[in-house]
Amino acid sequence: MAAVVEGTGLTKRFGAGDATVVAVDSVNIRIEAGELVMIMGDSGCGKTTLISLLGCILTPDAGELRIDGEPIDPVNEDLSVIRHEKIGFVFQLFHLLPYLTALENVMVAMDIASTKTDAAERRATELLTQVGLRERFHHRPAQLSGGEKQRVSFARALANRPKIVFADEPTANLDSRQSDNLMNLIQELRREYQTTIAIVTHHEGLKENADRIIHMKDGRIVTA
Amino acid sequence: MKTLFLKDMRYRQARVVLTTLGITMLISLILLLGGIMNGMRIQARQYVASTGADIWISAEGSGGAFIGFSMVVEEYMAFLNSWQGLVPDSASPLVFAQARPTVHGKSTKAIVVGYKLGQLGGPKQVIANEGRMFTPSNFEDYRPEDPVPYEVVVDEKMSLEIGEQITLGNEKVKVVGKAKSRMFVLDTPLIFMDVRIAQKLLLGNTPHVNMMIAKTNKNEQPVRIAADLDALETIEARTLKQTLGDIIAYYVDEPMKAVQFLRVMLWLVAGNLVGMITYVTMLEKTQEIGVLKAIGGSDNYVMGLLLKQVVLISVVGVVLGLILSYLFAAAAPIFVAINFVESIIVAGISFVVCCGSGYLAARKAIAVDPMIAFRGEI
Repeated sequence: MAAVVEGTGLTKRFGAGDATVVAVDSVNIRIEAGELVMIMGDSGCGKTTLISLLGCILTPDAGELRIDGEPIDPVNEDLSVIRHEKIGFVFQLFHLLPYLTALENVMVAMDIASTKTDAAERRATELLTQVGLRERFHHRPAQLSGGEKQRVSFARALANRPKIVFADEPTANLDSRQSDNLMNLIQELRREYQTTIAIVTHHEGLKENADRIIHMKDGRIVTA
Repeated sequence: MKTLFLKDMRYRQARVVLTTLGITMLISLILLLGGIMNGMRIQARQYVASTGADIWISAEGSGGAFIGFSMVVEEYMAFLNSWQGLVPDSASPLVFAQARPTVHGKSTKAIVVGYKLGQLGGPKQVIANEGRMFTPSNFEDYRPEDPVPYEVVVDEKMSLEIGEQITLGNEKVKVVGKAKSRMFVLDTPLIFMDVRIAQKLLLGNTPHVNMMIAKTNKNEQPVRIAADLDALETIEARTLKQTLGDIIAYYVDEPMKAVQFLRVMLWLVAGNLVGMITYVTMLEKTQEIGVLKAIGGSDNYVMGLLLKQVVLISVVGVVLGLILSYLFAAAAPIFVAINFVESIIVAGISFVVCCGSGYLAARKAIAVDPMIAFRGEI
């Protein structure tokens, strides 16, 4: 299978001198197309830093990154283009814009990618229907439950048909019923859109949904 | 979504409205202060230019007519009337003094102009159907036994009727006519009377006047004649242009230096206000900006959203400020003359200052690290 994301010797350090922390240490990682990978490990082991490197939010201090087979040059390339064309993000705290409705929150990702408004509205309508929020198009985030917000967040992440969606602790703020529902939805969306998904989680109960588990410790991958 | 920035503004409408109102008030204040100064300049010129005089003569060391203390003896009349280059018999004595007449029982500010009726220095006739001119004296051959009646012609805007009396010094003077309004600086009305009455009521009945004015022959250069007269040891002579320059410098520009400074400060405050509020709003929005960047928004995309808000607030604030300043000017208790071209320039500069400071704040805000999206709540 082709690798959607491939990192070789990825390293990221924070701080300077004696206070330097190596958050990700010479990590080699490969995520295949269509996989659902879970990245697990203790707090501070470098999970979020790793998906930030893979998602082109952070630039590595060392190592190479390829997305969809293309090498990424973080110095000379506009990473924002890669982020909106090839990557989707789901955040632990949803991070929906409070002044937009659910529909508009999904549309904003396509606005960034310069999609025409009509096409963006059609796509957002389709995605929100898919995640079961047909009745919630015009509700603002403050009017939605945690589970509903996370569904909107997934719809937003899928809006530009990304090669891979990175989800950072997507169930951390949901109860167990909402978590189960969300995981069912993720599986459904994955089947429907053939999207590769990488989830950072502490939640041991989610393991059974993964094709592969990557364990991290002290910035290194210990099992993959 | 072309209206994304508008939705954000609607969500933070209280702050947007307050910022816009702040700019509106500051712009109207800047324009009103300019309008007051323009009004003072116009009024400072109005009377002097209306006299028709080309040469203004005051006492040596006075700094010019209207500026310092000046008393000129009557004998200069004959001397000036025979001066080559001046229109024969055009020289006219003038008393120009600030006074506090009592009008309708209230002490009021006014300027008394004492001149020779029919000569330079004051109106030759009243407004149609508004009384008559005051009774003139024979200035050159003054006879105490033939007292001139205490009569005045007042500015049409003084709310006085023909036949009413006002008190000047300790004497009652009668309003016999109304003249076309020509206020002096800060809406100070002019009261016209015979030069002899003015000498008696305001100069302690001395045979002096404050200045003399005259007209030059058509083919003469007023500058040259003024220079020749100025060379004499006991008088100072100025042309009309020099006198206007002196008046504007003395009555408007010098006292208004602080106001000019205040106008510049207000500009800075307007710019600072937009910059500060934009910056504070940006601080509140760092999480949102981080999320927009994390989901692929470029710096230009985020900057575009922020700048659209800054530009809209600045445009609305400046336009409302322009409208409000004209409304305030119309209702102001003093003469405010907002110059249209100046108001467009002020609006333009204010817009640039507001947008510039908003841009600086926005530029700082877009430096947000998108990693912030992985932390905290919006």
